[in-house]
Amino acid sequence: MRPFVIRRPKSLDEAQDAARERPQDGVLRAGGIDLIDRMKEGIDAPAELVELRGLADETGELMRALGPAGDGMQVGALVTLAQLAAHEGFGAARAALREAAGSAATPTIRNAATLGGNLLQRPRCWYFRHADLVCLKKGGTACLAVSGENKFHAILGGGPSFIVHPSTLACALTALDAQVEVRGAEARTIAIGELFLTPKQDARREHTLEPGEVLVRAILPKAGDDQRSGYAAVKEKQSHDWPMAEAAVKMSLQSGVMTDVRVVLGHVAPIPWRSREAEAALEGKPASAALFAEAAKAALAEARPLRDNAYKIPLAQGLLREVLHRVAGVPLPE
Amino acid sequence: MPDDSKVTLKVGFAEQLRDIEVQLPAGEPKPWDARAELKVVGKPHPRVEAPLKVSGAAKYTHDIVPQGALWAAVLRCPHACALVESIDVAPAKSQPGVAAALALVKPGERMIFAGQDVAAVAAKTAEQAEAALQAIAVQYKPEAFVIDTAAAMQDGAPLVHRGKVEERSTEGDEPGAGGSAGQRGNVRTSPSMKKGDAHKGLRMAKVSHEATYTTQVHTHSALETHSIVVQWDGPKQATLWCSTQGIFSVRDEFAEIFELKPTDVHVHTEFLGGGFGAKFGASAPGSRMGFIAGELARQAGAPVRLLLDRKEEHLCTGNRPDSRQQVKLGAGANGQLTAIHVVAHGTAGIGTGAGVGRNAFGVYSRCPNILVESHDVFTHAGPATAMRAPGHPQGAFALELALDELAKKLKRDPLDLRLAHDEHPVRRHQFELGRKQFGWDEGKKRAAALRDKQARVRRGFGVAGSIWGDFGRGKAVVATVSVMRDGSVEVKNGLQDIGGGITTVVAQVVAEVLQRPIEAVRVRLGDSELGPSVGSGGSVTTASVTPAVRAAAEAVKTQLTALAAKQLGRKPEEITWSEGQARAGSKSIAWAELCKKIEGEAIVATGTRPETYGAYPVKFMGGNSYQIAGVQFAEVSVDTWTGVVTVERVLAIHDCGKVMNPLTARSQVQGGVILGTSYALTEQRIMDRVRGVMLNPNLETYKIAGARDVPRAIDVVFTPVDTGANNTGAIGIGEPATIPTAAAIACAVHDALGVAVRDLPLTPDRVLAALGVVPARGAS
Repeated sequence: MRPFVIRRPKSLDEAQDAARERPQDGVLRAGGIDLIDRMKEGIDAPAELVELRGLADETGELMRALGPAGDGMQVGALVTLAQLAAHEGFGAARAALREAAGSAATPTIRNAATLGGNLLQRPRCWYFRHADLVCLKKGGTACLAVSGENKFHAILGGGPSFIVHPSTLACALTALDAQVEVRGAEARTIAIGELFLTPKQDARREHTLEPGEVLVRAILPKAGDDQRSGYAAVKEKQSHDWPMAEAAVKMSLQSGVMTDVRVVLGHVAPIPWRSREAEAALEGKPASAALFAEAAKAALAEARPLRDNAYKIPLAQGLLREVLHRVAGVPLPE
Repeated sequence: MPDDSKVTLKVGFAEQLRDIEVQLPAGEPKPWDARAELKVVGKPHPRVEAPLKVSGAAKYTHDIVPQGALWAAVLRCPHACALVESIDVAPAKSQPGVAAALALVKPGERMIFAGQDVAAVAAKTAEQAEAALQAIAVQYKPEAFVIDTAAAMQDGAPLVHRGKVEERSTEGDEPGAGGSAGQRGNVRTSPSMKKGDAHKGLRMAKVSHEATYTTQVHTHSALETHSIVVQWDGPKQATLWCSTQGIFSVRDEFAEIFELKPTDVHVHTEFLGGGFGAKFGASAPGSRMGFIAGELARQAGAPVRLLLDRKEEHLCTGNRPDSRQQVKLGAGANGQLTAIHVVAHGTAGIGTGAGVGRNAFGVYSRCPNILVESHDVFTHAGPATAMRAPGHPQGAFALELALDELAKKLKRDPLDLRLAHDEHPVRRHQFELGRKQFGWDEGKKRAAALRDKQARVRRGFGVAGSIWGDFGRGKAVVATVSVMRDGSVEVKNGLQDIGGGITTVVAQVVAEVLQRPIEAVRVRLGDSELGPSVGSGGSVTTASVTPAVRAAAEAVKTQLTALAAKQLGRKPEEITWSEGQARAGSKSIAWAELCKKIEGEAIVATGTRPETYGAYPVKFMGGNSYQIAGVQFAEVSVDTWTGVVTVERVLAIHDCGKVMNPLTARSQVQGGVILGTSYALTEQRIMDRVRGVMLNPNLETYKIAGARDVPRAIDVVFTPVDTGANNTGAIGIGEPATIPTAAAIACAVHDALGVAVRDLPLTPDRVLAALGVVPARGAS
């Protein structure tokens, strides 16, 4: 690892000044989980890290906030996954976020990893992470997964890069219609969907933040009494692994009828993949096992697998069915 | 003790005990047999070194920092195959902190795997050493390479080796395995194992089964990576600290490299963070670590620490070869096997040793016609080396799963089919024991019911057998036991404790003989100056070391008895020992009092172990040693919607002769089951076939089972056997414990689904493919 300097600003202004001083090789740091990994692997070698966890101003306070905000909720960017997983204020309505946070990585990592870092981490693709290989994301001319080992790559929305988005929280937050607040030269609040970039928009980057911009918090809108949500992932290894697919679902459930349905799949596409096809199949209909199977089929109808990842189609279907059963309270078949 | 005495030993297992006569060499104590009443040996005792390990006080090679020590780093070839056109290490020498730099290849040399040694530097800090590597200028001319085992077998595939290949074998390899019967292209044929006429047996068969089974490359991934610290004490003398399974193999290789006398090389391995077969000699299988550290230290005039990182550990320190096994089984109308024929190909990368072990040939020996043919296929990847029961887990997986598929065609219970063909009385006893204890018959019915109604979550039951030999080595170990005037007891030997718990077992043996508390016995191991010993490989440690330790302790006791006789005014043969006191009639002398009478500092005696002299009740093929038996049962659940396999329970029933310490023995079996589960479900080296590099050289995407992946219950049952092998009755367990695990799990998955997943690891993509739900394009 290249030696580096770490700065610990007390205010957002200081942090942004520091970041602007070294636009090329300075970088913001929170939990450091992904960043330090990349530095150890030789993928990134910043000369200066700007530590965000010491911010003591109003922005710092917002970044550590976790709880009600107006008629919704806020989750600061510095809140750790462990805090999210243990938080009791999510209820059944926002259970997807709690379940997602508790499923990621390991207890040790969850104690350090933050919401902001989880949303903005770089892809886990083994070509991107290989120091000796130059893939599309690192300035190369092709996504190496296409001709290479693509078991864990995208089946939806891929091309020219076939990464899958690594953020577990993104999947849950998308299902919960979250917004994120960003502060740079100016403050802005955007729908979480606008945070992410498809590879067709920009194959080199995964999010829309500009240098010097800081993700401050996520805001969850008001949830009705009948709102339910849930999240699950399928992994090869049950202790510390990246999912092969994830599913997050939100709905309002009245007398067994589902409305305001959100279906989001993770680790199948370069962005958290909202399936409007599945949502349409479910919206306004009574929950049933047969309907879930149909919706799951619809969710993957547009999948275009590579050589080694067609298994993700039945796997994601099975997973989505499980989550739908659980969230809607329809017993799973034995 | 009289010379060359004949003794009667009670040997056997369970209710099947009998007396045999054994000729003992001079000085050999009478073996502990089924009649022996032992107070310390065979009782659970926590590891004596546990407090040091859990407190962090134990010093591993990675913790050794001699004064002024430098860090070494190695530049590794990024290409699978390339000619070195030029190399210049001079620029590295002027980098900050650098004390020495070394080219390890010459222009014109061909590199044959990504990860091969190219150059090395030593610098004051690890970061400086890493940075200096970047200054080394190397020009490569990349050449065609082949990574995929099947592709490497094709005519016209790029040749990995241009000449005849020398086999490299270590103490981790199974005695008698290996050898060559010819080489063509990238394919090197091993000698076949043959009995009867398998082709004829297949022609005679009324029911037959044929399928191809594959297994993956598995890396050792010991927690402590390969590491060596070299300090020159003079131009021809060196002290080494090395994370090794074989202290003397390190000493001898280092002495050979630098033309030293072995006795002038002093090697320490006080603690060792695992080896699994990959840590023999001063070098790693794919990296000249001993030369690099030694030469850098020589040039720099300072001690050098060469500690590999996790990536290097995956690339160049060995692995378990993959396999592609075509299995043909035939059975008569009565369900008796007429033939077993296995044709195996596997890649050990640029190395050798991709055979598939003894399972197909040795376990179901009532089959009259067996042919096992195996071939090494060279590929441009890091060399394999012995890994816990070399070949056996691969061979067990293919054979046992094929047997289950045949049993299905025969409409026969898989356990009955096994019992009908296994001649080993202990393994038969274990199969029967497990049938009851595991709830086999009821479990199979439950599995069938879930299968029949196409349940979402299925259950399955599987069983597999283990075969290994008692390779305990004679005349290799010299142990020293001392009793000091202050009454303290010390035992010394140049052995390393790989983690299995031999330190504690050695203390138990001495405590047993001298009737001292275990805590009063100081065990000193891990130092080449403490007397000859064996490498920890081949499951030989306990069987080789404890008899020598016992012989030394008995020799000391003989001298103490003579001393007591003198003190009590009796003849030595009148002296008896109980609770640490020497007695004769009504007279006695306590331990502390007796020790004060020792003339000089101490009574010191050495002991050795003769060659194995008993192998009851079954010999291992072609040898004069006992065939170690074991069986494992597995229960799995399989989610048919997601393809996830969960191992619910494993019952491991093993024989390891006389169990020395049930706690440490149980721990070894649990470790074997966990390793086998990890191999069955998740571990897999992933190579990019286009670019020739490993894609998962870490512990994140190279997936080793974690707490949630290991079986929810691992029950270990020992079926003690007195084989008459040696004076403590110990035989090995390290390897047998991992042989049948993956096979039993794969059989259980077959039971759950009704179709076999014929490829390891049993990942969700393969389970879904076996269920027929993966769209045609992309089944991996």
